[in-house]
Amino acid sequence: MMEHPERVEQFKHDIAEMQVKDPAAGRDRLATRGGAALMIIGVIVAIVGCLQSHNTSNPLSQTDAVIIALIGVAVTVAGGAVFLKGALSNFFRFWLARLIYEQKAQTDRIIDVADRP
Amino acid sequence: MNLLELRGVRAAYDRIDVLFGIDLEVPAGRVVALLGPNGAGKTTTLRVAAGLHQPTAGDVFVGGRRVNGTAPEELARRGLCLIPEGRGIFPNLTVRENLRMMTYSGAGLSTVEDRAYSRFPRLKERRKQIAGTLSGGEQQMLAMARGLATDPALLLLDELSMGLAPIIVEELYELVAQIARAGVSILVVEQFASTVLGVADLAAVLVHGRVARVGTPHELQDELSKAYLGGEPR
Repeated sequence: MMEHPERVEQFKHDIAEMQVKDPAAGRDRLATRGGAALMIIGVIVAIVGCLQSHNTSNPLSQTDAVIIALIGVAVTVAGGAVFLKGALSNFFRFWLARLIYEQKAQTDRIIDVADRP
Repeated sequence: MNLLELRGVRAAYDRIDVLFGIDLEVPAGRVVALLGPNGAGKTTTLRVAAGLHQPTAGDVFVGGRRVNGTAPEELARRGLCLIPEGRGIFPNLTVRENLRMMTYSGAGLSTVEDRAYSRFPRLKERRKQIAGTLSGGEQQMLAMARGLATDPALLLLDELSMGLAPIIVEELYELVAQIARAGVSILVVEQFASTVLGVADLAAVLVHGRVARVGTPHELQDELSKAYLGGEPR
């Protein structure tokens, strides 16, 4: 068997240039896990705030507790968005690749028809 | 130099260990056959090498660089190509459409088709045929053509012979030999050793997730019968 030094060197060069990433630290996975954690924390904070507001007759304390509960709701919503972003990005990547392929095929079909005498 | 090197690679599916410290080298321009009985860990070894499965321990070196954790598409884009068991073609698309799907790698359709049809003239005759209706051998040719369209430097072939008649397998391995003569380094996994040993420069026998023996095909004849017939590897 033979070795093609040029292709081998090119391959080595390309591999050396590559940015090696740890998939465990991948953004999508991080977003999915972080989003899920935020949703759980948000729900807990909202429940705690709600319970606090019920357990006091002091209007100032009640206001503080309601604000805490609202922050919990906001964190839950934000966590949900982050979770969806992480969970759906892989699907959308595939969908985009499929769309690009269909678009190319459609363009070729139009060109074929246009080229016919 | 080695284009692919596995050092002490261990891998598992969930908590079930399947590879127990694999050491394997694929020198540039050589064909290495990875042989072994069913369930020995051959396909997992290929998946680890291609970046599809993360090792639980050990190192994977491609082109002299440690690539643990690299996304498989990054390796594929740079010239490492895996042709999986079961062929990995789009059965509902035509041959030409299957080849068109390889243009994402940057090569134009005409270049991809030229590369494919020059090596596999039969595919040219079948270019408008739905891939799922091709014969097994032709589907395997299409899978190889798709892989070679990316101009790989390192080709990983998984169970080329699966479900094919012996005469077709011989024909395919003749094509593998041609690809190797063109300078592509190849790691080929096979359960049926006789044909692949005819084209391999080196062979490794995998038994129960461990490399039992590495050597030239001639040196491994005895080891193979032990591995397949249940004897203790040396």
